[in-house]
Amino acid sequence: MSLLEIDALKVTFQTRHGAVTALDGVSLTLNAQETLCVVGESGCGKSITALSTMGLIPMPPGRIVGGAIRLNSEDLTKASEARMRALRGAEIAMIFQEPMTSLNPVFTVGDQIAEAILLHQDVTRDAAWNAAVALLDRVGIPSAAERAKAYPHELSGGMRQRVMIAMAVSCRPKVLIADEPTTALDVTVQAQIFDLLNEIQRDFGAAILMITHDMGAVSEMADRVAVMYAGRVIEEGLADDVLDHPRHPYTRGLIGCIPSLDHAGALKEIPGVVPPLHLLGEGCSFAERCDFARQTCRARQPVLRGAAHRVACFGAQEGWA
Amino acid sequence: MGSFLARRIFYGALLMLGVVVLNFFLIRLAPGDPAVVIAGEMGGATEEVLEAIRIDYGLDKPLPVQLGIYLGNVLRGDLGESFFFNQPVVDLIGQRIGPTILLVVAAQVLSIVVGIFLGVLAARKPNGAMSAFVSVFATIGYAVPVFWTGIMLIILFASVLPVFPVEGMSSVKLREAAWYIKVLDVLHHLVLPAVTLAVIYLAQYARLSRASMLEVLGADYIRTARAKGAKERTVLFRHALRNAALPILTVAGLQFGNLISGALLVETVFNWPGMGRLAFDSILRRDYPTIMGVLFFASAMVVVANILTDLSYRLADPRLRGRA
Repeated sequence: MSLLEIDALKVTFQTRHGAVTALDGVSLTLNAQETLCVVGESGCGKSITALSTMGLIPMPPGRIVGGAIRLNSEDLTKASEARMRALRGAEIAMIFQEPMTSLNPVFTVGDQIAEAILLHQDVTRDAAWNAAVALLDRVGIPSAAERAKAYPHELSGGMRQRVMIAMAVSCRPKVLIADEPTTALDVTVQAQIFDLLNEIQRDFGAAILMITHDMGAVSEMADRVAVMYAGRVIEEGLADDVLDHPRHPYTRGLIGCIPSLDHAGALKEIPGVVPPLHLLGEGCSFAERCDFARQTCRARQPVLRGAAHRVACFGAQEGWA
Repeated sequence: MGSFLARRIFYGALLMLGVVVLNFFLIRLAPGDPAVVIAGEMGGATEEVLEAIRIDYGLDKPLPVQLGIYLGNVLRGDLGESFFFNQPVVDLIGQRIGPTILLVVAAQVLSIVVGIFLGVLAARKPNGAMSAFVSVFATIGYAVPVFWTGIMLIILFASVLPVFPVEGMSSVKLREAAWYIKVLDVLHHLVLPAVTLAVIYLAQYARLSRASMLEVLGADYIRTARAKGAKERTVLFRHALRNAALPILTVAGLQFGNLISGALLVETVFNWPGMGRLAFDSILRRDYPTIMGVLFFASAMVVVANILTDLSYRLADPRLRGRA
């Protein structure tokens, strides 16, 4: 039994072009205390998957039209708003991409962490404040008691992301969703944040669902990887398997985009862009950008197949791509 | 914070000095001879009488000397004597400034509180009925002149629905009543003038807070608040409103001057015994010292309101603290 099961989740958004399918049967599982990285280009549905799990999709225009999100067997897509509020921050917490704008500018960081604690635990204000200071100390903020009284604008981006992490783990959630937690940060700070997340996971026992487009982050963090493209999971498996032996042409393309010092010459790139979701046809959504695409690819949608390392590609499944 | 306040008060005092000098020359620019006005405009005064008046009032001295004397008097708290009442202007205003401050502050508080509340409700569902109501109400409220609103309210409450007094500030029959009855009586009288004065600004604040809230509600930190598990009410009134309040504060501070000039009309319509009423009467009577005194106090109220706005701005937004 997995901790978190996203099962054939289908989410649509109402747009000028009519209802557009942002997630088309996404299935992911997250086991207790593991790290699952979801990778893909912008617009492939990574963040929508995360926000759906948090119950934070703006509805309307968004709508969950099918599938289930089960946390400890409880289907969150059917949970009441009050129930979701009780779970959010307590059982599932989230770290966002933009530490610069994700903290409220008019409250001290200590206040904002203490608020998360007070929302879910029956403690006094003083106790919550002390817990906030302890958490700031835990996430590596020097002189935490002083910094707790600081406002977000008085802290650097890396510090703010540490504050976000402290806030997210304040109630010891079982699932921690991190939506590109390092994209907005310097490279050196990125490495520190990855280390911190790994430590936090070890100490707090949270499972991490990390969303990223950075394959370097995947190799730092992931136990397992799911690759998404145009609202579908197209490859999934243990991180080492996927990184070392990518099977889907798209995954191979993503890995080919990582610069390396001993590999001189131009970086490879994947030609084209993710197609607009309202223009997706019958076949494989990657077919237009794929070097191996055949007639079958344009006619039918491949499904995820395989045991531990699964892939949704006719070529990979049949051995010609 | 202390030095900030000291600096603001210093600038405020400089501004007041400018206002006094400007008022002084403004009155001197007005057509006609003050001596003639003082002596009576029937034209019966002889040249000797006028000359005596000029010497009496210091009007025979050169302008810079007159200005110096006037400034000296103002600094000592002497704004001259009313031509009409033959009483010190300071006393006249002292009797009337309380009711004006009561009216203006009540209207300001009413318009800000109700305006923001309507705006927040509207922002919650930008395409909902409340939002449409606020937009229509704001347009009408802004377009309708304040004296018309007042007269319509008087018609409504004087005859159709006599639940609020439509005139004055207190009931004569309660002269002997206990103090708290009198306070309630004044508040009862305050309702219609305050509502009349508030309508325009209320409409503006509702519209402004709707727009400001809509912008803030899209911010990342609002999503963070929801991700913590905060209730929608907490998200709206704690996380969003503090941020959305900043532009409203700015406008509220700027509007204070307009509010005072609006009070002049409202006081006249409802016979409210305030400074506006005094100014109106004094203009009709060409009672120059009183007009200057009223202008002086109205300016002082605006200056004080602006200092308070700056202070509240810094309280609301920590990013502004520690800056000059």
